[in-house]
Amino acid sequence: MLTEKFQNSTEYPQDVEYNYFVAAAVIAAKLDQATTIAQQLSLTASNARAVALRAGERAAGFRPLTDFIDRLAEITITASKKINHLAAILSKTSAAKVRADNAIKHFNIVFKKAVDSPFINSLNDAFEHCKINQDKLTRAYQRQISQLSDELAMLSSELRNAVILATLSRVEASQAGAQYQDALINVADNVEGAAGKIKDHIKYSQQVVSTLQ
Amino acid sequence: MKTHKLFENQSHSWLMFGRDDEKPNEIIDTNQYLVISKNNALLMDPGGIELFSAMLAEVIKQVPADKITHLFASHQDPDIISSLGLWDQALPSAILHSPWIWEGFIRHFGMENITYAPIDDDGGELKIDNVSLEYIPAHYLHSSGNFNIYDKEAKILMSGDIGAALEAVDAPIFVDDFVQHIPKMKMFHQRWMPSNKAKNDWVSRVRKLDIEMLCPQHGRIFTGDNVKRFLDWFEGLEVGLTGKNLP
Repeated sequence: MLTEKFQNSTEYPQDVEYNYFVAAAVIAAKLDQATTIAQQLSLTASNARAVALRAGERAAGFRPLTDFIDRLAEITITASKKINHLAAILSKTSAAKVRADNAIKHFNIVFKKAVDSPFINSLNDAFEHCKINQDKLTRAYQRQISQLSDELAMLSSELRNAVILATLSRVEASQAGAQYQDALINVADNVEGAAGKIKDHIKYSQQVVSTLQ
Repeated sequence: MKTHKLFENQSHSWLMFGRDDEKPNEIIDTNQYLVISKNNALLMDPGGIELFSAMLAEVIKQVPADKITHLFASHQDPDIISSLGLWDQALPSAILHSPWIWEGFIRHFGMENITYAPIDDDGGELKIDNVSLEYIPAHYLHSSGNFNIYDKEAKILMSGDIGAALEAVDAPIFVDDFVQHIPKMKMFHQRWMPSNKAKNDWVSRVRKLDIEMLCPQHGRIFTGDNVKRFLDWFEGLEVGLTGKNLP
């Protein structure tokens, strides 16, 4: 049920609450999908460049746009990989935090159960060490979430350019003559479509992150 | 969880922990054993993760945490040692003694602080203070890397899964009527133990030991004549059976 919702939708399901260490893995998976789409965008740029070359002078205005499409793809791939890496680190920190939380929980049960034990204080050092470790992991966890959130916001902002790029591509495509017009408009559609899909994945990830903050 | 003293002399004592009535029903009941010497203690087959709090709470009533310097895992099963990640937090300076073949596997339970001391296939000796304990090879009974611990002074053999029985959490600690006990352990040995050859080899070696108590990880402890009765019964039992081959 959860897997189905996760795989088939870029809309964040309101009735799904991810455990916090699963959430980091979900974000990593979403950004992995974004990377794949960005790689397809890069292919679109190569294809557009070939069409623009064939169209010659009539598509002269389109050629510089292919560089921008390339750049957009490159930025998205780089940022997605970085976010994916951050999410993987967050996932590792989260798993360590679960273990630390679990150890504290067990220690607390022992302190309650063995309150009359003459040796109960012999656990204090180990407990303190666990608490320090837990605090350290909690701080790292919060810092990593903040970093992840910033990176997602930056990538989302970069992708706003895709709409402008698609509009300009359509304008230039209309100048290319009937023979190449459809192919170039198709490029514009691909840019807009890919950017839209990536933005959906980012939005989903941002919503997951917001549940962790 | 109940604590029962099995042996005590001037150099050391043996305690058994088990019959945890707070454990979830779906989890098999386990016996844990502790040897306490002058300055150290050895906790044997400390149990699963679900048992950790209850175990530590009981152990800490007997000895301070820093005295539990040694852990022993007879083999790699979760009911033996899946609590390791938590003991690793509670006893960071402890040494875990376990078969060499399981080190890479057991570390999956989480072990950042505790030191792993691999036991060679042939066994060996563990000395805590002046107490000498012997690792008795029990490979393929049931695990392919598996040891018992023998204390010749106390005449106790901690036999792990050998002699184990599946029964209720309120079962008595000692076997009283051996014949009546057989149905509780027969299927366990036939299904879990894979090798008649390994079994018979173990029986012939263990017969040479002077044993007053044979202490399994599940079920009841065999004492006195019931030790010999168990060895005779186990020797005659065909093991490595599944499905319709199980009587």
